[in-house]
Amino acid sequence: MNSNQVFTVPSRDLTRPQFPTLAEIGEKFRLAAVTLTGLGFLMIAIGLATNPAHAWANVLITAFNLACVGLGGLFLLAIQSTTGARWSDPILKAHRAMPALLPIAGLMMLSLWFGAEYLYPWARPEAHSDHLLHGRLIWLNRPFFFGRILLFFSLWMLVGRRIVQHGKGAAVFILVFGVTFVVANFDWIMSLEAGWYSTIFAIYGFSGMFLQGIAIVTISAIVLRRVGLLPEISKAQNHDLGKLLFAFSCFWAYIWLSQFLLIWYANIPEETGPIRLMLNSRWTPFFYLNLVLNFGLPFVLLLQRKAKTNETVLMVACFIVLAGHWLDLYLMVLPPVLKGAAPAFGLSEAGGVLLQFGLGHMACWPVFMKDVNPEQEVPQR
Amino acid sequence: MKSTDRTELMVPTRFRASFAAPGLLLEAVKRLKLDGYRVIDTYTPFPVHGMDEAIGLKPSRLPRACLAFALLGLAIALGVQIWTSAYDYPLVVGGKPLVALPAFVPVAFELTVLLAGLGVVASLFLVSGMRPKFKVPNLHPGVNDDRFVVAAEIRPGANFEVVQSMLADLGALETELLVEDRLEKGSSILDREATPLAFILAFVPAILALAALPLLNRDYLRRNVAWDGGMMAPVAYQSFDAHPSLPGGQVLQSPPKGTVSRLGLVPLAYGPGKPQAERAGRELMNPFQPTQENFSRGKLVYERSCAACHGREGDNNSSVIVARGLLAPAILVSPVVKNMPDGQIFHVTTFGGPQKMKGLGDLISRDDRWKVILYIRELQKAAGPKPAPAAAAAAPSAPAPSTGVKP
Repeated sequence: MNSNQVFTVPSRDLTRPQFPTLAEIGEKFRLAAVTLTGLGFLMIAIGLATNPAHAWANVLITAFNLACVGLGGLFLLAIQSTTGARWSDPILKAHRAMPALLPIAGLMMLSLWFGAEYLYPWARPEAHSDHLLHGRLIWLNRPFFFGRILLFFSLWMLVGRRIVQHGKGAAVFILVFGVTFVVANFDWIMSLEAGWYSTIFAIYGFSGMFLQGIAIVTISAIVLRRVGLLPEISKAQNHDLGKLLFAFSCFWAYIWLSQFLLIWYANIPEETGPIRLMLNSRWTPFFYLNLVLNFGLPFVLLLQRKAKTNETVLMVACFIVLAGHWLDLYLMVLPPVLKGAAPAFGLSEAGGVLLQFGLGHMACWPVFMKDVNPEQEVPQR
Repeated sequence: MKSTDRTELMVPTRFRASFAAPGLLLEAVKRLKLDGYRVIDTYTPFPVHGMDEAIGLKPSRLPRACLAFALLGLAIALGVQIWTSAYDYPLVVGGKPLVALPAFVPVAFELTVLLAGLGVVASLFLVSGMRPKFKVPNLHPGVNDDRFVVAAEIRPGANFEVVQSMLADLGALETELLVEDRLEKGSSILDREATPLAFILAFVPAILALAALPLLNRDYLRRNVAWDGGMMAPVAYQSFDAHPSLPGGQVLQSPPKGTVSRLGLVPLAYGPGKPQAERAGRELMNPFQPTQENFSRGKLVYERSCAACHGREGDNNSSVIVARGLLAPAILVSPVVKNMPDGQIFHVTTFGGPQKMKGLGDLISRDDRWKVILYIRELQKAAGPKPAPAAAAAAPSAPAPSTGVKP
């Protein structure tokens, strides 16, 4: 050891080990988040300039996915509030931060006004002469469509605020959510395909949303515990989150099959189009990958009780589920936009994903900070 | 001797303590473990969170049984479906592949869950030695109601009074020594607690399974015994039923007098027999010209329906029944047949010959019978010169009624 080395004298209490404050950790995270967001917007902008249809589709995916995260947090909060659950008390802070994404997601959804004709066949001028579409224009027209977006997001934010801040109105939210989310799925995603419909589509969307919500809560819980912010999280919470993740992964597969099986078996021409494309084209590997990511891998990884309490395995499973949900949305949105062409991945996709991470952190972190004391010192593991 | 054994075994080292709340019980168990007592088990009206860790139970091995039974269920479900629909009785349904996996998923899922659930409960009963009992161990009357009981062993070097006062401090309602007769704890599976009836009942599923074995071995060619559930006897009158009010007392009525059956054909006004055949020979003309089309149709019909007996060339040379030593049919290329008018041959093909030949009128259509005659005439022309001397010598110059036709 070099005896001449000069040690800087810490200004804080020397009797205790020195830990960074929560604000300092936040600073570190924010830099990364701002970089990701900037890069994401840049990539989307380049995409909009070069290949607008593709880029607008990714804006839709990003906006919908961010809305899913916010709603996932709200919905988890709401069911735990209505059932009086106590197991989740230590992780509720993470839940409460997630709805902060709703305004951003709402703005992005509204920005689709400028790109609607790239995405939605009913927004194109020739829709009026389309036999399949002209009757649906009563419901699917720009003012009404974007009015509904505005209405849904305001409702979610309004009722969500009461749950987050006062812990009240959970039952009301569940009712409102049940109706609005179904319509939102039909509106935003299903209307991409002019003549196609599936009555179970909204439940399918819900199952993916809820699965992703659990995954994000789990990731936040583990990360926050690792940096020492939520020390009260124990193995029991991990086990419970693992069980939820496992169960809703199976639920997603159940709904996925319920939709696929009926279309596949009934073989009704107006229903089979998108499924046929998925089964006999360059999309096929991604179609099966979707099943593996959302159900196969989480099922195998989390089957054991030991795995459900193991943070590393949980973390891996959660990120697989996140990738799976993104791919799920990609498979819903892109084929009709690309009009059946082979799948394409480019700058827009990368930008959308970066935006989700960056905006996700930037929106949720400050809300989370309000829940805890920013000057709290955080012991690093 | 036996009594001393009993007294030695009856040394009370176990005790139980009851509490009014799950939290108190949990604290007491933790304290007992901390002080080195062996906690045997706890008995509570409902599962107490954290008790497994407090007692120090190892993770259950039941999940392995669960996985095994789940995989068994999956294998059975997929196996049965694939075997029945793709191998034993392949049947294409709705244009789907024989092994239509998506369609098999619901059954596979249900059976997986069913076997996993039932199997894990059965394993639990088997492993933990639970079986139907009439003599239930007397634990504590409150265990099924509002008491939380722990059973433990007194640590060597401590006595019951110490335990009692310690547990009383922790909130125990009562603490008492457990006196148990270890000799009564049967080690045999047929111990006194279980009744023979329970074991007989346990064999019922096995007997049923054995009884089902012949089903796997059944004769697939035998007709099944049908259960007449009433669907086979329709309410409506059937053609041959008696009828109270219709003429003749039956449902089926004879057609009005003079009704002619048709299918577009004029009925043949001939009956069987040689006189009728000769009349047909006088009255009927072959309505078909020997065109190439009619000829090849006649050839086809001849080779299908006639050649087996009359031979491919009409000379009995390749006749199956002659080769077997049976009665030889008429030689079609012989002058007798050659001199027959078309109408008479037509009559013979329709109603049969005077000897063995059966009429083929209901097997070969009327047009085909005429066309086959065109072909026979060609055979006769082709065979004409060769058998002529022999035939002339054997047969009289005029068709002899006594020889008759043996077609």
